[in-house]
Amino acid sequence: MTAVADRCAEAVALVTEVIGERADEWDRAGRLPAAVPVALAEHGLLCPDVPAEFGGRGLTSAELGELTAHAGSLCSSVRSLMTSQGMVAWAVRRLGDAGQQAAWLPRLASGARAAIAFSEPGAGSDLAAMTTTIAAGGDQVEISGTKVWVTAAEYADHILAFGRCGAGGAAVLVPADAPGVTITRIDDPLGCRAAGHATVRLDAVRLPAAAHLLGGAGMPMEWLVTSVLTHGRLSVGWGCVGILRACVAAAVRHAGARQQFGRPLADHQLVARHLAELHLAEQAATRMCEYASACRDDGSPEQVAAAVAAKHFAATRAAAGAAAAVQVLASAAALDGHVVARAYRDAKLMEIIEGSSEISQLLLAQDAQERWK
Amino acid sequence: MSTSIEPKITPEAIRANVTDFVCRQTKSDVAADVDLFGSGLVSSLFALQLVVHVETAFGVSVTGPELKLDNFRTIDAIAELVLRLRGGRR
Repeated sequence: MTAVADRCAEAVALVTEVIGERADEWDRAGRLPAAVPVALAEHGLLCPDVPAEFGGRGLTSAELGELTAHAGSLCSSVRSLMTSQGMVAWAVRRLGDAGQQAAWLPRLASGARAAIAFSEPGAGSDLAAMTTTIAAGGDQVEISGTKVWVTAAEYADHILAFGRCGAGGAAVLVPADAPGVTITRIDDPLGCRAAGHATVRLDAVRLPAAAHLLGGAGMPMEWLVTSVLTHGRLSVGWGCVGILRACVAAAVRHAGARQQFGRPLADHQLVARHLAELHLAEQAATRMCEYASACRDDGSPEQVAAAVAAKHFAATRAAAGAAAAVQVLASAAALDGHVVARAYRDAKLMEIIEGSSEISQLLLAQDAQERWK
Repeated sequence: MSTSIEPKITPEAIRANVTDFVCRQTKSDVAADVDLFGSGLVSSLFALQLVVHVETAFGVSVTGPELKLDNFRTIDAIAELVLRLRGGRR
């Protein structure tokens, strides 16, 4: 058991060391120094749940969750890189054959940097509207399409792009420097400003199919994406737990130190209520994510709905909690780069990605009807 | 994860297990040859729940080329898939 605790503690310490006190500066600059994603990738921190047999750190979902929350409490941009690469590695484990897993997982666990591309100008929540095409012929695969809001693409050496393939869906691991690939940085995203969002154009990119084409056996797009998004939803949920931890800590410190009307803010009941609700939100979101991760570690089918529930709960509470924290800190946090100002902008995006709040609610309503009818 | 010799799993036992899971999830009686995905029986999260159940219940991994609709279309098809994936250790 000690080895397990050490393995997790070491990853947490490395993330702390790589991020340091620099998240504010990266937020204002809108980018990470090039050495940061490189260091995270080389330490195997971007997909630390890759099993040891493939050279990964072999963290369980519960351990990965705590690490993700820690990263999320320090810097949601770095946490976004972990979410992206985690989904790519999971997609390789789920959609890849044995040869592809043996080829890609060790690279993803030890230096390669990967982004994942679902959304298109006309296809966000509505995946059936995806127009990117993947055509396999002979030993080659060709992919064409435009992907938008691809997190981490600016730093990535590979992009896993999803598209229509025959009667179903598939994904292609596209090297960022392959002929026909154009990556255009999005300069001013609302949140996770240093996460390297970009538009990715794929213009008849041709690659050897055996190494680069994942899936394509006639699997419906929805199946492929649900599997990968389940990993991403857990990651976002835990990242939102981190946002809440950063917010409750900042709010408690400020409300204890700042005096108005002759006593600390925390002694004013309306402010105290914000502290209580923030504390509760962090506790409840943590429990939701712990449950979903336990389901995943146990191989329970319950993980699918639990991940949606945890993500939706944590994201909506993080958005509300960050707004409350701004209210408590007031002018002290009304500056770009401040941990609470970042949380306010970053958390709002978490209500949009990996299934918007509204899509999550539709899925949860279906789940409720199955459970209670 | 045990290395002890597992009892041989029969097609009937697999069908019974999967039928029980599908019926519990859908709250309806589902025959072994019904097209699960053409019948409007199941929600959009169900497909993945089914894959995870099959993996955990029978100790198999369904990845790469095996992860296709035809392998999960009916309870009969799932039983065939499980027997094939367990082929080496029946």
